[in-house]
Amino acid sequence: MSTATQASAADREAIPEVANPLGMDGIEFIEYTTSKPQALGQVLEMMGFRPVARHRSREVMLYRQGGMNVIVNAHIPTMPDGAAPTDKPVIAAVALRVRDAAEAYRRALDRGAWAVPSRVEVMELNIPAIHGVGKSRIYFVDRYETFSIYDVDFVPIPTVEPNPPAVAGLHFFGVVQYIGNDRTEDWTEFYRELFGFTDLPDDQRFGILPKGRILRSPCPAASRFYLQLIEPEASVLDVEGDEALQRVGLGSPDVLASVAELGKRGVEFVESRGVHTEDRGALTRTWMGSVSFELVHNER
Amino acid sequence: MSHYSGNIDDFGMDTISLAGPLEAKLKAVRQAGFTQIMLAAKDIVGHPEGMEAAVAAVRASGLRVTGFQVLRDFEGLSGHLHDYKMDIAKSMLDMCHALDCRLLLVCSSTSVHATGETAALVKDLRKLAMLAIPMNIKIAYEALSWGRVVNEFPQAWEIICEADMPNLGLGFDSYHVFATGTSLDELDILDPDKIFLVQLADFMWTEIKSVEERIATARHFRVFPGEGVHSEALATLVTRLHGLGYRGDYSFEVFNDDYLQMPLPSVAERAWRSALWLGEDVLRRSVPLPNQMRLKR
Repeated sequence: MSTATQASAADREAIPEVANPLGMDGIEFIEYTTSKPQALGQVLEMMGFRPVARHRSREVMLYRQGGMNVIVNAHIPTMPDGAAPTDKPVIAAVALRVRDAAEAYRRALDRGAWAVPSRVEVMELNIPAIHGVGKSRIYFVDRYETFSIYDVDFVPIPTVEPNPPAVAGLHFFGVVQYIGNDRTEDWTEFYRELFGFTDLPDDQRFGILPKGRILRSPCPAASRFYLQLIEPEASVLDVEGDEALQRVGLGSPDVLASVAELGKRGVEFVESRGVHTEDRGALTRTWMGSVSFELVHNER
Repeated sequence: MSHYSGNIDDFGMDTISLAGPLEAKLKAVRQAGFTQIMLAAKDIVGHPEGMEAAVAAVRASGLRVTGFQVLRDFEGLSGHLHDYKMDIAKSMLDMCHALDCRLLLVCSSTSVHATGETAALVKDLRKLAMLAIPMNIKIAYEALSWGRVVNEFPQAWEIICEADMPNLGLGFDSYHVFATGTSLDELDILDPDKIFLVQLADFMWTEIKSVEERIATARHFRVFPGEGVHSEALATLVTRLHGLGYRGDYSFEVFNDDYLQMPLPSVAERAWRSALWLGEDVLRRSVPLPNQMRLKR
């Protein structure tokens, strides 16, 4: 097709909104809060993560494997803000890589997102955030290529390899979000309007836990991830207050190989009538009352 | 409770019909037999012991909160007026959330500073609905009969359809519909699942001639359904809404200066008679309806 033809086609058609309005490029980090950071650290290490850096001013650790960063936040805020860490770890934030964090933040606020007031210490980065589901936050990060946000706020742990390889090709695949009754459309609209997520048809599912609705991020294939929205079972009444990010999904090019490798490290997987390990996926047991990981077959 | 308890849990009272402190209103409404109540922001912020005490009183009453009112003159503003109104909207949403209330009522703008351009109204209502999503709050947009641009429910409906947000729907107030003489045939364009609230009131005169009279009547002289001269039209309205498939709440939006000078139980008793008339005689619910188990929402 010649350039001239393309130009005239653009003149004649209503071109829809850019498919990736924020220039989103995957997940920069996932943050857990817990009052038991060592215990959660053990779980993460079993899953193949390595502690690589420590926050300059707060009780916060950075764990990493391959392209995945996980932050464990045990910092107790000076002023109570309802998000103080509890024994049970909670997925408190997801940070999105975007083209321009300030622009992404401004665009989200303009469309009805709630701003999170930032509380940065001297010489720390002010990472813009909006409120997500429950008490969680969504951060916008645009410094991930030439230098990283961790260079500023974190101090590397001496003698530790700063970029440990991923176990068996693991990478972020997505996050499962539990939602209230009749809330699927609300949350679909939230992620569509603010970030450009699209919902997948019902017959397109990944892994071994196909319930609910899957939203696909507009990221390029190399950094694409998914959100899965799950309403309560029809028979369960009155649990709608419990909306939260429930678990992290990890992509694996070979689920059975990953399960074998993680098994050697001590990770147990759920084997029940409803859920069991297979080529498509697997689910770890739940640690500390709330932490589990789902493996999903995904080539990247 | 001594009186007959009909199958009318979907009817509720509004605090604006009653005088006195919040606790007295909650008690009167509960004792009359109602299970839900519509609250206004001033019930919460005007509590002598503060907002937290008001929220605690509402929780302790056991009444479900039908909705929270009212955000006024919100849509169509620009610049610093828009920013100012967004702050007000956020404050209303925060209060609504604190009450575990799942509905915020917004009435169409009367402001001469607001644009009437549909695209701007749609954008603002989308933004408001988006703010409400994380809190699990629905936005009911109501056509005030003296709204500057939107003053009849079909206009409000058109904007709601264009905004196309799952948690943005229609607040339907019978008073405004009768005041503007909007044809009930227009009801057929509505999707019953997107009618988020129906407010009912009657009034004492057949015709309202001017906008000024419309406002005065709305604010001071409404009566409970069945007490005015529009009983037949109200019966038709409720029957048609039911036929359309509406199964949401009916709230008595009765502003009446006389009722504010009467003992609360007397006013609540009048409201209860009204609910019985609509539930038993008009909708003829002699036996419990199937699928009437209501999730708290």
